[in-house]
Amino acid sequence: MVHGSLMTRALALALAILAGALPCPASAAPGDKADISRLSDLAFGQLNMTTDQTLSESVCAYSSSATSGYAVQATGDGAGTAFTLSNGSTTLPYEVRWSDSSGQTNGTALTAGATVSGFISSASQKTCNNGPASSATLLVTIRAAASGSAQVGDYSGVLTLTLVPQ
Amino acid sequence: MTTYRNSMRGRVGCVMTLAAVAAGSLIATPALATPHQGSLGNPSQGDITITASVQARARLSGLTDVTFSNQDPGTAASNAQNVCVWSNTSGKTYTVTATGDGASKAFTLSNGSGTVPYSVEWAGTTGQTSGSSLTTNTASASFTSGAVDQTCSSAPSTTASLVVKIGTTDLGTMTSGSNYSGVLTLSIAPL
Repeated sequence: MVHGSLMTRALALALAILAGALPCPASAAPGDKADISRLSDLAFGQLNMTTDQTLSESVCAYSSSATSGYAVQATGDGAGTAFTLSNGSTTLPYEVRWSDSSGQTNGTALTAGATVSGFISSASQKTCNNGPASSATLLVTIRAAASGSAQVGDYSGVLTLTLVPQ
Repeated sequence: MTTYRNSMRGRVGCVMTLAAVAAGSLIATPALATPHQGSLGNPSQGDITITASVQARARLSGLTDVTFSNQDPGTAASNAQNVCVWSNTSGKTYTVTATGDGASKAFTLSNGSGTVPYSVEWAGTTGQTSGSSLTTNTASASFTSGAVDQTCSSAPSTTASLVVKIGTTDLGTMTSGSNYSGVLTLSIAPL
């Protein structure tokens, strides 16, 4: 009786997925791979302390999965992988956004250490040597609220971007 | 057979990890050269360096006009106000330079036909009725601000005291019923 009940539940779940009633989790095939390239360092220079400032760059994000899907995780080198720059004694926070199209001025906000799924790559080659020269946009913003109260100095930090095929 | 292969992988991985830790303890980790491009894999990881520069800045806010009304010439006039000074230097230090709109930037009030001098004092803490005497157009000694933001919107709400005084001798030279006015300019420089 118990065995029969489990079978019934499994069958109902399978039918629900097939019918589209439940989301089918995206997953990459075992051999699928991703590649992030065409990255450049970002230099804000002297910050205007009264306005938000954003730098962006178009990069190549590639996924070999059947859907060209991928997920992105960004981590800073601040405490707890926070998105912060440091001048050696104090920190300056920044924000990160990602778009799966190149040349964008806005994107999905990323939280440090959190993986965001659902991006689709238009890249036809792993380093975008053929086809589109870039397939995604990385945007980094330093808010005036942060720079306006920041201690004097030269700040720097490392932003790590991780792509996972989906 | 499958179990055996997994076990071997685990052992090899363990040895490699220990070797890496041992090397890391003896050799300083080199600075990460950026940009670091990812490579084809699962996952693929890249790094960039972000740089920004913040200039030395200061801000003075919370100023109010000073009015002496129906002043008794026999009693020295004094007005103290609490203001907010913010400095983003590491020590939150600053200097203050005051200038009047009298001749050669003198601290004087005018009624159009005559002038009367006043004095200016500055204290690096709030609630003071006296402070360091300022000389027109001359930077003061260093003060330290306790402000945590530009306009003291977070505590403390004020960080310094501005005191304006007119002595009895000078009050005695003023014409009764005549209005005197002047502009005092204060400049804060981060230090």
